[in-house]
Amino acid sequence: MTHPIFLEWIENNSKVLVLGCGSGEIQQELISHRKASCFGLDISETKVLASISKGLSVIQGDINKDLDDYPPAFFDYVLADDILQLTHEPKKVIRDILTIGKKAIVSFPNFAYIKIRLSILFTGKMPKTEILPYDWYETPNIHLFTVKDFLQFCRDEKIHVLDYIYTVSQGKRTVNFAPNLTSEFAYFLLEK
Amino acid sequence: MKALAKTEKILLYDRSDPLELDCGAELPNVEVAFETYGKLNSRATNAILIFHALSGDAHAAFYHTKDDKKPGWGDFMIGQGKPFDTEKYFIICANVLGGCKGSTGPSSTNPDTGKPYGTSFPPITISDMLKPQKKLIEYLGIKRLLCTAGGSMGGMQALQWAVNYPSSLEGAIIIATSPTHTAQAIAFNSVGRYAILSDPNWKTGDYYHNGSRPLIGLKTARMIGHITYLGQLSMEEKFGRKIQEGKGCSKIDFSKEFEVESYLQYQGDSFVKRFDPNSYLYITKAIDAFDIYNGKKNLAQALKNVQAKTMVISFTSDWLYPKEESLKIVKALKINSIDTAYCNIDSPYGHDSFLVDLPKFKDAVKGFLKALGDR
Repeated sequence: MTHPIFLEWIENNSKVLVLGCGSGEIQQELISHRKASCFGLDISETKVLASISKGLSVIQGDINKDLDDYPPAFFDYVLADDILQLTHEPKKVIRDILTIGKKAIVSFPNFAYIKIRLSILFTGKMPKTEILPYDWYETPNIHLFTVKDFLQFCRDEKIHVLDYIYTVSQGKRTVNFAPNLTSEFAYFLLEK
Repeated sequence: MKALAKTEKILLYDRSDPLELDCGAELPNVEVAFETYGKLNSRATNAILIFHALSGDAHAAFYHTKDDKKPGWGDFMIGQGKPFDTEKYFIICANVLGGCKGSTGPSSTNPDTGKPYGTSFPPITISDMLKPQKKLIEYLGIKRLLCTAGGSMGGMQALQWAVNYPSSLEGAIIIATSPTHTAQAIAFNSVGRYAILSDPNWKTGDYYHNGSRPLIGLKTARMIGHITYLGQLSMEEKFGRKIQEGKGCSKIDFSKEFEVESYLQYQGDSFVKRFDPNSYLYITKAIDAFDIYNGKKNLAQALKNVQAKTMVISFTSDWLYPKEESLKIVKALKINSIDTAYCNIDSPYGHDSFLVDLPKFKDAVKGFLKALGDR
């Protein structure tokens, strides 16, 4: 696996909660490259067991409900990688993660990406791309939004954007010009 | 080839050093029956203490003789290449205080009278059960356990141990249990005890000398208990409405028409051959009284001392110790910044799932232990 693009944001020996941690690949990266103490949360029994079998500390739980159990500022970072658009109440989730985490890393597909705009314009159908491959009736992405939406949200919620990375080609290239139009996937480092 | 083990016995308390119980009473002589598997390493850092459940005993793994048909109750988990790998770890399992399989309990002889204690045996708690086990591991030369593990009543012991002796262990595996016994679980135990108490052979617990024990009562108690250990789905699959072979409608049979009935009868009959009715009363009372809160206002306060890395496991079809009970423990451990893993394992076998050979359950235990060893 290539290093996650946000790895540089995470300081050594940090305490990190990884939301929707799947089988624990990101934790393994953070442990080996940042000596992080990692905790994970995932809703799937199979994935949690896969993580536990690797010796990782993972709790089977629901991001929509189980985040407020932790004490405030318990984690140095809470990582919500490509998951916010799957949650029932993204606003609550962001508030929760910026309460239990000193900082949060949020990443999401930008729905204002030019290819998506053009796809809707020319086909008149819900767009399907490499990172949003689902048909409208089976997509888990129930709260899609754009870079501009998110920046507006952060201003409204008085959340500080400490850093950002805008990418295309599944994270292989970064872009900096007019990101709401040109970026396919965006990463934000946030602090309350 | 069958791996063999034998139950050893040791006198851990005597008159000069009696066992002080939570109720204030003292037991002058306390023997503990235990088994060990694998080898203790030179630094004594590879020891794992396994706690058995209500009807279990020290015989957790291996066979007692080559001709034994069945191994110990947890043999699918303990042994060479299994999660509790006897090539790597030194595994200990002891019969609980109050039990009837070698450790001191109501059927043991009271040194003051020369007769079995019966109901003059003092009431015991889950914490009391831990005291001789703590002394046992010290006797075996172990200051700090790599891990403890137990399901059901064994899970209560694992949780209580992590609270009572926080610096004596690296990790704890807490399976299919609850921070206090629920009203529903107490209710089932209560009916079981009532069956024993109302058996005319019980004679207020003084039945040891005259040969007829309250076996009908104990059998009924076990049958009730057994129903609560099974999952509704697995019962349906295993028995459904199947009728015993040879049963026609010529004569009504009130006890053994359906297969599930004869299964329960069989479970009850085999249990009474190996268990003492008074032990059943004392141990189920200890389980019902279990309350890890111990007067603290919330569970996080009660678990404040815990240092061990923990893994909590529940099973989807366990309605006796449902996942909500495990989640209470997980939440309290999270609040206390304890390194905790939790999974609600999908299984149709009800509460008894922890005694079923489930590959994913075994992998989880294996992974948790490996990570403990690597720390």
